[in-house]
Amino acid sequence: MGERADVWQGTLALMVLKTLQALGPLHGYGIARRIEQTSGDLLAVNYGTLYPALLKLEQEGYISSEWGTSDNNRKAKYYKLTRAGRKQLEKEAREWEQTTEILARFLAPGKESA
Amino acid sequence: MRPLRALFIRLGAIFGKERRERELAAEMETHLQMHMEDSLRAGMSAEEARRQALIKLGGVEQTKENYRERRGLPVLENLLQDARYGMRMLRASPGFTAVAILTLALGIGANAAIFSVVNAILLRPLPYPEPQRLVRVWESSPSKGYFRNVVNPLNFLDWRDHSRSFESMAAILDLMTNLSANGEPVAVQGLQVSPQFFSILRVPPLLGRTFTSEDGVAGHHQVVILSYELWQRQFGANPQIIGQKMDVDAVPFTVIGVMPRGFSFPKTHSEVWTPLPLARTEDWKGGRYLTVVARLKPGVTLEQAREDVLNVANLAAETRPDFNKGWSAEVMPMLEDATQGVRRPLWVLLAAVGFLLLIACANVANLLLMRGTGRLREMAVRSALGAARSRIIQQLFVESLLLSLAGTAAGLLFAQLGLRSLLALIPQNAPLPRSETIVIDERVLLFTFLASLFTALIFGFVPALRLSRVDLQSALKQGSLRGGVGGHQTLRRCFVVAEVALALLLSVGAGLMLRSFSRLISVDPGFSPEHVLTMHIWTSPARYHDNLKRSQYFDRILSEIRSAPGVRAAGSTHFLPLTEKISGSCFSPADQPAPTPAESPSAQFLIISSDYFRAMGTPILKGRDFDVRDKFNSQPVAIVNHAFAERYFPGQDIFAKQLRVCWTIEKPVAIVGVVADARQAQLQQVPAPTIFLSNSQAPMYFTTLVVRATGDPRQIARSAEAAIHRVDPDQAISDIQTMETVFSDSVSSPRFQAVLLLVFAGLAVALAMIGVYGIVSYSVSQRTNEIGIRVAMGARSSDIVRLVLREALALSGIALGLGLAGSLTLSRVLQTLLFEVTPTDPVTFASVCCLVLVVSALAAVWPARRAVRVDPLVALRYE
Repeated sequence: MGERADVWQGTLALMVLKTLQALGPLHGYGIARRIEQTSGDLLAVNYGTLYPALLKLEQEGYISSEWGTSDNNRKAKYYKLTRAGRKQLEKEAREWEQTTEILARFLAPGKESA
Repeated sequence: MRPLRALFIRLGAIFGKERRERELAAEMETHLQMHMEDSLRAGMSAEEARRQALIKLGGVEQTKENYRERRGLPVLENLLQDARYGMRMLRASPGFTAVAILTLALGIGANAAIFSVVNAILLRPLPYPEPQRLVRVWESSPSKGYFRNVVNPLNFLDWRDHSRSFESMAAILDLMTNLSANGEPVAVQGLQVSPQFFSILRVPPLLGRTFTSEDGVAGHHQVVILSYELWQRQFGANPQIIGQKMDVDAVPFTVIGVMPRGFSFPKTHSEVWTPLPLARTEDWKGGRYLTVVARLKPGVTLEQAREDVLNVANLAAETRPDFNKGWSAEVMPMLEDATQGVRRPLWVLLAAVGFLLLIACANVANLLLMRGTGRLREMAVRSALGAARSRIIQQLFVESLLLSLAGTAAGLLFAQLGLRSLLALIPQNAPLPRSETIVIDERVLLFTFLASLFTALIFGFVPALRLSRVDLQSALKQGSLRGGVGGHQTLRRCFVVAEVALALLLSVGAGLMLRSFSRLISVDPGFSPEHVLTMHIWTSPARYHDNLKRSQYFDRILSEIRSAPGVRAAGSTHFLPLTEKISGSCFSPADQPAPTPAESPSAQFLIISSDYFRAMGTPILKGRDFDVRDKFNSQPVAIVNHAFAERYFPGQDIFAKQLRVCWTIEKPVAIVGVVADARQAQLQQVPAPTIFLSNSQAPMYFTTLVVRATGDPRQIARSAEAAIHRVDPDQAISDIQTMETVFSDSVSSPRFQAVLLLVFAGLAVALAMIGVYGIVSYSVSQRTNEIGIRVAMGARSSDIVRLVLREALALSGIALGLGLAGSLTLSRVLQTLLFEVTPTDPVTFASVCCLVLVVSALAAVWPARRAVRVDPLVALRYE
């Protein structure tokens, strides 16, 4: 497990939003697991940082929460994406793509004539 | 906007914390359970599953703490927590809290009250647009000692037409006016003003219009503007008033406007405004009697305006030297002009309450230090448990702030009550300008709030620093409570010394003012105000235009009043004594060639009737009073006062002399009497050389009747009014008051200052006394042991008392030195406020020093008695 990278601050929010968009309403544990699985277990989500991040997103109005019942009949707090959250997700995803594209150009082996 | 939304939610999260905590716990629990279930499914043991889940979560409590920090606002929560804790601490020692809050309330309340006066009178801008561009222009003659002198019409016209610094300039003439609205005569204050007056002030009318330049042309000037208050009172707020006719001094005028509510011009109480027609063709030898207001052009500085007017005035002095030689002009900002004479007293009072607040701060700081000694262990425990020093300082500070805010709330209450009694000290015809607007407004509240923060800073600072620097070891050790105290004791002594020194400073100020005031009211005014009633009448120029007719009118009124029951004597004067009104004119002995007006000596002038001196109780020293022989057309006569006779005709036969007077009378007047000196403009002023002319020969349009009654003067007011109305039922009468009231109002301003300073000094001394008591009594309790030993060794009661008193007197002695040094430096600012007392008056200084020593000795009496009663057996077992 020691080889797995921690999630960078800032990208965690984007991952949470994307997860909620893909799966619909989900509880904290579910979100964490999903992020780890999606990364092919390359990422380790520190659950301790997940909950403050969820709270921040909720305070900013990108997600909302309500208490519901899980598959195993357990009371859990479910988070879901709000309209503002959807917009924010689009915006951040776009920005992220742009960033990675730019970085990719930098890192791509020399197409330019040196 | 997202961060803002989050901030509000976090602010909101400070409340309803318990529910949120429960939810957080539940969410964490669910998380753990889900994690464990997954692990169990993967074949882990239950115990191992829980362990892994906890590790992965990073510790439930840490996670919760992270979560909490994001949920609310930790800084604010700490503050609130400190506040709650502070409240508990303050409630836990109600005695300390009450004394501290009361002390602060006194200090802050006094400041709030005096600041609301300063604010209303000195700071609040004049109620006109761009008031900083408004100025007053005066004539002045430094060589003759006349400053801010009223203005000659022709000189005014020169300034107006030849200066370039002003948008416009208006002349003002302050006169009583008789209105006859619905057949009922009313005398009101009126201002005759140049048409530009309202456009200079830039105040539009509520109804109708203000003056245009056509209204300023003689013959077209019969238009009048009413004040809102007069319109309400006399005309039932009739909206159809514009265009109606009303008699102004018996001439029909047309009402063209009503001014908005509260509109007034500083230092006047005018209720009607009429145009003042001024033309160059008029005879300008009429003397100086106008006041002038002007608005500077934008961007023109006061200095430029001064230079400009000075040039014009110098030219006027060259072109008309016989009238203007030695005369010049001065320009003053209007606000400064309106508050002339009250600025210094008010700043002195504000400084006094500032000192009072410092004393209160020192007292509370001492209380905090004293209480702090008892809390040393609490602080030690807190810092042992890991509280940072800054955190402890913050907490102590929050406590100070709570105290000072509570003190402020109570102080504002005191200020509200205090202001009411303060305003009662100001007489109706107020010598304090703009005092009608004294209220606790936003600016006063802001000042008070800042004062309270400052206060908390001052009194909380040193104790907080001291207390937070605890020596853990010694503080936590049992029984070594006194270990950290030595330093505090020195500090507290310094505070007490400062308190006593400041109290001494205030007492010196109050003592000087008190002595000055008692000197003032024991001045012999030269007349006896008891049993005298005064009333003002203003005759309509239209009805009594003829001088002969007017003089006969006054004579008939006086003889009617003299025949009324209860009247001992009745006379009249055109300016009542002690009302700060004087008129002057030049004169010259008739047996010498006549000099120009500018070169002639000038004297104070009063137009009086026969029996005026008898009614006022001023003795005639030589010669005779005016009487029936002095008819309108007979030889003009004058009476002069003693000062005049001594100054101009010492050792000569004054009754052989005749005088030419520039004013009113063409023929030389013969001197028929010499009267004793009496104070005229104000009690402070030594009687000036004065010439009295007869009302029968040189009547003014207005006069003040002076009636001496056999009993209570108020009893004869009704019959005197009736007597006047028997002569002319339309004659309006105003300002009916006893001479005693006039006398008392005339000293209201020094009385106001003396009373307030006395109150503040009294409070200061009381607070200082409490301070001395506190420190001596504490040191007695600290020295119980030592005293016990002394008693056991055979010390007598008197030795013990001396021991305690010595401490109190040593402190006061140091304070005395400091306070005296301070007083000698600072009392100089009182110089101009003092009457016949020097700022270093030895009597005042000596008595204040005695007072301070006696008071500190008194403060030490209680602790001394306790010390004497120390039982050596108990004391030695004390440790």
